[in-house]
Amino acid sequence: MKILIIEDEARIAKRIERMTRDFFDKEVQILLCDSLENGLLAIEQNSIDLLLLDLNLNGEDGFEILQTFVAGPFQTIIISAYTDKAITAFNYGVLDFVPKPFDQNRLAQAFTRYATSGKQSGNNLRFLAVRKAKTFRLVPINEIIYIKGAGIYTELHLSNGKIELHDKSLEALEKLLPETFERIHKSYILCWDRADKIVVEAGGKYSIQLKSGELLPIGRSKYKEIKDKLL
Amino acid sequence: MHFSIRYLFYLYLMYKSYFFAVLFLLMFTSCKYYKEYVTTDVTYDVDYDHELNDWHMPDSSSFKFQTEVVIQKRKNHSESLGLQINAFGAFDVYWDGVLVGKNGQMAKSGQSEIPGTETSYYQIPKKLSNLGKHNVTLIGTQTYNKEAKRGIDVKLKSYLQLHRSPLIVVSFMNLMAGAFLIAAIYYFFLYINSARKELAVFLFGIICLLFFFLLIIEYVKYYLDIPYNQFYTRLKIIGWLTFAISMLVPWYFMLQFEFKRKKLFLALLFIVLLAVYIGYYGHFDISAAYFTITARFFSIVIAIDAAIRKTKGGLIVAAGLLAGVVVNYFMFYDFGLFIAFTILVLCMLYLHTIRAKAMEEAHNASLLLSSRLQLELIKKNIQPHFLRNTLTSLIDWIEESPKEGVVFIRALAEEFDIMNDIAEDTLIPIRQEIDLCRRHLEVMSFRKEICYEWQEEGIDENETIPPAIFHTIIENGITHSFPPNEGCIIFYLKFTKEKQFKEYTLLTFAKNRQAKKEKRIGTGFKYIEARLTESYGTNWSFDSHSVEKGWETTIKIFD
Repeated sequence: MKILIIEDEARIAKRIERMTRDFFDKEVQILLCDSLENGLLAIEQNSIDLLLLDLNLNGEDGFEILQTFVAGPFQTIIISAYTDKAITAFNYGVLDFVPKPFDQNRLAQAFTRYATSGKQSGNNLRFLAVRKAKTFRLVPINEIIYIKGAGIYTELHLSNGKIELHDKSLEALEKLLPETFERIHKSYILCWDRADKIVVEAGGKYSIQLKSGELLPIGRSKYKEIKDKLL
Repeated sequence: MHFSIRYLFYLYLMYKSYFFAVLFLLMFTSCKYYKEYVTTDVTYDVDYDHELNDWHMPDSSSFKFQTEVVIQKRKNHSESLGLQINAFGAFDVYWDGVLVGKNGQMAKSGQSEIPGTETSYYQIPKKLSNLGKHNVTLIGTQTYNKEAKRGIDVKLKSYLQLHRSPLIVVSFMNLMAGAFLIAAIYYFFLYINSARKELAVFLFGIICLLFFFLLIIEYVKYYLDIPYNQFYTRLKIIGWLTFAISMLVPWYFMLQFEFKRKKLFLALLFIVLLAVYIGYYGHFDISAAYFTITARFFSIVIAIDAAIRKTKGGLIVAAGLLAGVVVNYFMFYDFGLFIAFTILVLCMLYLHTIRAKAMEEAHNASLLLSSRLQLELIKKNIQPHFLRNTLTSLIDWIEESPKEGVVFIRALAEEFDIMNDIAEDTLIPIRQEIDLCRRHLEVMSFRKEICYEWQEEGIDENETIPPAIFHTIIENGITHSFPPNEGCIIFYLKFTKEKQFKEYTLLTFAKNRQAKKEKRIGTGFKYIEARLTESYGTNWSFDSHSVEKGWETTIKIFD
């Protein structure tokens, strides 16, 4: 497991590093960068799992920089002095926002979110940042009908019929998405509002029919839960 | 005065068009008033043409003047008639052979002449004021000013109105004069008590005062018996006053409108005025008229130039001056002159209110800027980036090595103390600024765990500097420098004093991070520039650029 810490204050960076090691205990590789430029370079050269980012969100380009990070396949936790920008950061799809000054407990709470599967981040996600050639596009999540896992990346099926590719795994996205999204299959996340009814096919195969008429498979283990929810 | 001007100004702002309408109406009603009183009840005819001919013996000072007056029409027979005689000399006046009055005491053997005044009035007995022909006879002497060859002027009017009409005129003119006197005093006080000592304010005061004198001298003839041999003295004074005013008014407009070729224009104006003075020497009324025309011409040129350049008030002054020309065209000389002058002064007053408003705005803006800068200074240490990062490091120091954590807290407390001390000042001793920088470096070395070193050379302890200038440069230096592989980041401040300027050079010895250009000229630099402007106006220069060894910032303050 690889964790990248981007923090320009040496003392704070060391503090984060120490606490991270304390939490994850086992084999964890920690990379330290003291500037955003170096950080971006490190991300290109290493496939990291978690980013701990100190970002000055007060500047004009703070959120622009944030997009480049949240579009990546890893989860991002912001550790910042600009506490008033927390909600906006969540809108962009960060896993957690740790305000400075922080202690061991608060950081551990953030790490727990990372380590636990299922929904973690609450209802604040508004956009998913999608990499488009060298730029980024923000896809509003209310345009998403369902998300299909496709190996290491995911497909966002949008209401306008288009499909966008996202670098995060289905598991990673599931943590960030709000209540209206449900994992219905190991390869599918569905937006509840788009679902119409459950269809039972021959051979005991369950599917869910969308309002658009499309059929998505339901995982065997999920059927009961989904049936209850839909009724 | 101040309040009344303010009040007028507010009135003006609220009812712009009405304000001017009422003003003009007021001016013209007063003229109408004046005219009514100069037209007389009597229609009469005098049988001479204003020339002294045979009545005056060339070798002797004594003269006898006789003329016939025909009363043609009277509306009100119960009113007494009066004679107005304009003549030089000392004489007795006879109406149909009856002595009606004396003007001065004519020379007799062994007794020299007591000069009479130029304009004198005589009541005519009621029983001798029937319609028809009458004789007016003047017997007297003229010892002085013979060379002037003045005519003798006889006017017949209602006696009451002969006395009343100058009274009306004088009352209006004194009213105006009073206004100018008060304005003059007000502007002198304003000049004396203002820190700026603006020449335009002083000039305006002088113009108002001269104009007050001009009005007083012009109309003093109605209530002061000036001996005829002093008649030209008054005219000379009027001439000089008009000359001075004609010089000062365009000058004032030049200052007001920031006219470009001031010296050239002033010289030209002076030459023209001088030419008029020499060319029409002795012709007092004509030269005074040409003085004002010259002044008006120059003023109009300046005002139109200002209007073209879209300077505030340029258009309104140009319009006012042109209105003055129109008034002068329709009015007879001296009265029109005063109205034109009044319009001119009103224009100037208007300009002054505009200027006062602009100054008030500038003052408010500077106050606003100062308090904004104060706020920015205070915010430096409570803004989240500084405070929360510092606190985070601080927690870490206390948790990991409490003893050093305490040293960190002390350094932070000292930085806060200095910040608190200087928060409200616009200039602080250079030593205090250096202390602030050193405390900040200490705090930052705890946070960044980088060694920062302060060096200085040639610091003059008596010098002052706006607060947190170098502090801001150091903040930038810390953010934009790579930590050194070994050793310290050195900040080196050097002070040099030359004849015309003082110079501070702050060198940061470190490798620069690559940063976007715009970031360098961020709020920090704006703060520095605003602070320098606040304390030194435009007499400073600020330069900040990368050099081989790191970063160099130079601040020059000119004397």
